[in-house]
Amino acid sequence: MIKAPSTSLLRAFSPLWRAESVPWVARGCIAQQVHFSTAEQRMARKKGMGPKTDMRITLIRYHLQHPLTPRPLRFSRTRALRHWTIHRAWRLYQNKLRLTRQLELERQYNSMNAACEALRLMDGDGLTQEERSKLGAEIEGSNDMGRLYRIAMKKDDGVRADAVGKGVPIEYARIQTETPPRDGWNSAWTR
Amino acid sequence: MTKITRTRTFTTTPRTHLEVEQQSTTESAPPPLIGDAIPAKRDPYTVTTRNAENQLLRHQRQVPIGSRRRRAAIASTSQVPFSQLPYQCFQEARSFLKEDRDDKLEALRVQRERLEKLRQKSGSVQPKDEWRHGNRVRSMRKQVEELKIQADINDPLVKKRFEDGAGDMSRPIYRHLADKQWRSYKRLILMQRITQMNVVPDVLPAIDPIVSTELAFPIPGHENKRIQRLRRVQHGDFVDSALSEKAPTLYVQPYDKGTRLVTIAVVNADVPNVEKDAFDYRCHFLAVNVPINPTDTRVRLGQLGKDQVILPWLPAYAQKGAPYQRMSIFILQQPSTEDATENASLSLDTVALKADSKYNTRLGFKLRSLVDRFALQPVGVDLFRTQWDASMAGVMQRAGIVGSDVEFKRKRIEPLPYQRMGGERYR
Repeated sequence: MIKAPSTSLLRAFSPLWRAESVPWVARGCIAQQVHFSTAEQRMARKKGMGPKTDMRITLIRYHLQHPLTPRPLRFSRTRALRHWTIHRAWRLYQNKLRLTRQLELERQYNSMNAACEALRLMDGDGLTQEERSKLGAEIEGSNDMGRLYRIAMKKDDGVRADAVGKGVPIEYARIQTETPPRDGWNSAWTR
Repeated sequence: MTKITRTRTFTTTPRTHLEVEQQSTTESAPPPLIGDAIPAKRDPYTVTTRNAENQLLRHQRQVPIGSRRRRAAIASTSQVPFSQLPYQCFQEARSFLKEDRDDKLEALRVQRERLEKLRQKSGSVQPKDEWRHGNRVRSMRKQVEELKIQADINDPLVKKRFEDGAGDMSRPIYRHLADKQWRSYKRLILMQRITQMNVVPDVLPAIDPIVSTELAFPIPGHENKRIQRLRRVQHGDFVDSALSEKAPTLYVQPYDKGTRLVTIAVVNADVPNVEKDAFDYRCHFLAVNVPINPTDTRVRLGQLGKDQVILPWLPAYAQKGAPYQRMSIFILQQPSTEDATENASLSLDTVALKADSKYNTRLGFKLRSLVDRFALQPVGVDLFRTQWDASMAGVMQRAGIVGSDVEFKRKRIEPLPYQRMGGERYR
């Protein structure tokens, strides 16, 4: 007795065999598919017979196959007004989001700007010129003035958040601390 | 009995003639009594079937109102007001817009308080700071107006009311919407006609219209009827001489608040002058101190008072054979008084103007001179054209104008004699 070949592949790929796994709303869609033959179906058929087509699928198909896509819709007066209201509200919401983002970026930029300006006016001891004169400390030579600012402005060297040029990614940096100092540990120090 | 309902207009332009208004009342159909032979009363707004329509016609002698599709739609929709329609996205959009409106109202309140404080300080402002202080007050006021519009611009009912022509022009939002609508199309057409017809460099050097104008002439033959019918004229139209014989009605719509006084001048810039072989100006109408309001826009030029009219209406005329003549109508705003809050304008002295020979003569009337003398600001313009037609002779005779039998003919210019040039020209 010849064993019938396995129909597992056929089941997997043939649309006719997979009709059960299709949701009930799409049954009409399958039934509405084009026949294999391109000849017209001229057989006399009874009105109302044939597969029950789902109007919603028909309409969606017509909408997608329209020569002008997206299909121009014609709304009634109240429908159009509701659409307009929703559109206005959505645009307003998007604008508000955009503005908050913009303000946040501006705030961050201004904060960085202020920090750089403070660094520019600061010398090695962390004082500006007017603070120095107020405290009465002697005004040193200004080669130390704004040193950290100049280091921060270097684009082709050192640690950078955006790693521009020859910059090193900021993840490789050491957090700036007060101690230990720049000169490091002097092992050869004697009294 | 046939009931006529008010037809809906989509614009804020005024009607040309009165319509008989009768609002039909809808009657709710009482429940049919069992065993009763009298049929239930049908509503002319909601009958859908042919049978019901016939019954409405036969028993209640009423005609169904609107198309059958419309009647079916009305019958099938519930009476939920538009703003409470149960669509989730729409309701969420409404609540979001309401929050935004509340924010704008709060901002408006704060701005008004600031403005009030600033105004209170204006007594103690030094002369050198006056200009800056005035600038601050002006920009604050502008901000208040903008906030008023921003609060209402997202309201669908406001939009619907405006589109139906039911917008109240005393409110800033409807004025704003009407202004936007005017500027999007009709003002462009007006400026095109004015510049194409060269009204602007000829009569006045420049104009920037901020009020919209509509011209309508009374239809002759309807004077003794109860309702005076008007015929609307588009900008730049040719107007029949019989139509322009009587003084027109001008609808002037300003888009900012307050009543102001304007001067209306109708100037013909194409009066032929044979000796000069050029054209003169002639004033066909001049009136001053005409009050204009956003809500009250009709100006009947023929019914202005004696203390307003300096030169009464002269019908537009053009001699036979002359080209068409442009009749330009200028609306000139009179300068405002010191307290410029509500656009109160200075009144011009009519008696002095009537006695001034520069402005009480029609021929040779210079509108530029009038504008410069009284610091008038041109705010509106309109145009119509006139040319010789069959009724012109009659109009001129009735108005007592000399020259209805004059015909202009072209002067024959002798052609230059043919002179043959050297041979190389014709190579």
